[in-house]
Amino acid sequence: MHRSVTPSLLARRRAAGILSRWSLPLAIGLVLLAAWWLASAARMFPSGTVPSPADVARAFVIEVRTGRLFEDVIASLYRVAWGFATAVAAAVPLGLVVGRSPAVRSAVLPWINFFRSLSPIAWIPFAIVWFGIGDPPAIFLIFLATFFQIALATAAASSAVPKIYYRVAQELGLDAVEVVFRVTLPAILPQLVTALRVAIGVAWMVVVAAEMIAVQSGLGFLIVDARNGLRMDLVVCGMITIGLIGVALDLAFARLSRLDSVRWGGER
Amino acid sequence: MTGVALELRGVGFAYPGVPVIAGLDLAVDRGDFIACVGPSGCGKSTLLALLGGHIAPTRGAIERHGRSRTIYQDGGLFPWLTVRQNIARGLPRDLDTAAAEDKVAEWLAITRLADLAHLYPHQLSGGMRQRVELARALAAETDILLLDEPFGALDYQTRVRMRRELAATLAERPRTVVFVTHDIEEAVQLGDRVIILGPRPTSVRRVIELPPGRVRLPAAPGVPEAEQAIMEELGLT
Repeated sequence: MHRSVTPSLLARRRAAGILSRWSLPLAIGLVLLAAWWLASAARMFPSGTVPSPADVARAFVIEVRTGRLFEDVIASLYRVAWGFATAVAAAVPLGLVVGRSPAVRSAVLPWINFFRSLSPIAWIPFAIVWFGIGDPPAIFLIFLATFFQIALATAAASSAVPKIYYRVAQELGLDAVEVVFRVTLPAILPQLVTALRVAIGVAWMVVVAAEMIAVQSGLGFLIVDARNGLRMDLVVCGMITIGLIGVALDLAFARLSRLDSVRWGGER
Repeated sequence: MTGVALELRGVGFAYPGVPVIAGLDLAVDRGDFIACVGPSGCGKSTLLALLGGHIAPTRGAIERHGRSRTIYQDGGLFPWLTVRQNIARGLPRDLDTAAAEDKVAEWLAITRLADLAHLYPHQLSGGMRQRVELARALAAETDILLLDEPFGALDYQTRVRMRRELAATLAERPRTVVFVTHDIEEAVQLGDRVIILGPRPTSVRRVIELPPGRVRLPAAPGVPEAEQAIMEELGLT
């Protein structure tokens, strides 16, 4: 049977799409929560190993009321912002040079890959020896965790920019700096935004690891401190906060990829 | 429009170990419309890259009197810019903002793109994209247009329409044109002269002069004979 596509049908389909985008993840979350609550109520876990949802909720309320959770979130975000921003500022220019120059690429690319393969955790001893304790070692670790990834993604994207754009740029009379800002960077923006989206997730994971070692604040420190006090409710409270902020950061970068100047890369 | 716009003297080009152009001597007068045909892979696009100054000949010399713009088969537009921005990017750089806006509006109207000005290239059909390419190249007010199989990716009806649009636009705003195509009908309908290139390493095999008029109808005087001659030169009969 033929069914004509009307504006109201399209609106209904759009509404159904939005509903399924939010309702399905929410439903899975509720199932997980129910399973956790049931297991906890049935005392399936040894005492003191897994807190109940109610314990975690209580811990959340206390942490929010006292402002401690907010302070830890700000401390972690501050470190991620600095580490990530400095990595982007350094890695994108390096990636552009590596991508556009075959000579530089053959000289530098193996070393980018070498350092990219090293876990940032391996740098912790150096981070502490070089920067002491506090924010700098955590920022340094985030920088290392994201710098090589972003440089490699930028190099790969800029080496794949179609030659035709540069020929057009030459005919338009663009100089070298204009070519970078008006051709190469816009041309690689879709891939760059994807790389940044991956890198911000890595940065968020690394800050938690770094805060477990070298600092006295942040969500990583909250978890270690709670573990030392056998406060597993607070550990889970920290874990949920980390997960939620991770999702929020990813959504923010996903939004970036929907900008008109970026979206063409996915819709060509 | 008088004088020579493009002159090639003994031009040769080779990629390492691969000779592409054996030796070309050619003069293109201002306002001429030259169509180049030849077997696939004979070096037609390389010839345009040489004429556009994108690559240098490995021997011989090219003299270009005036600036040039190239229109490609596809992919020459910046996909991160809208139609309006792409055309604006092609304008002479010394124009002030108001003059640039007027110029863009004028070319949007000429190429019937005003309704599509806010769209991005990926949102357009192949024919629309080629009209944007044409508008950007012509808005630049350069003396020479180099067209690299500009209608090759279009369906037959759109191709015929685009030929007419190109001819009409050039009638109002004459330019020197070198038009590379694999389509014999297109070459004969549009060109003042058709240059037949040989296989790689290529050279000019024959030049066919056509009677005045553009776009020529298939049965117009001289057209069937020219098509027949090209077919024979390319070994297609």
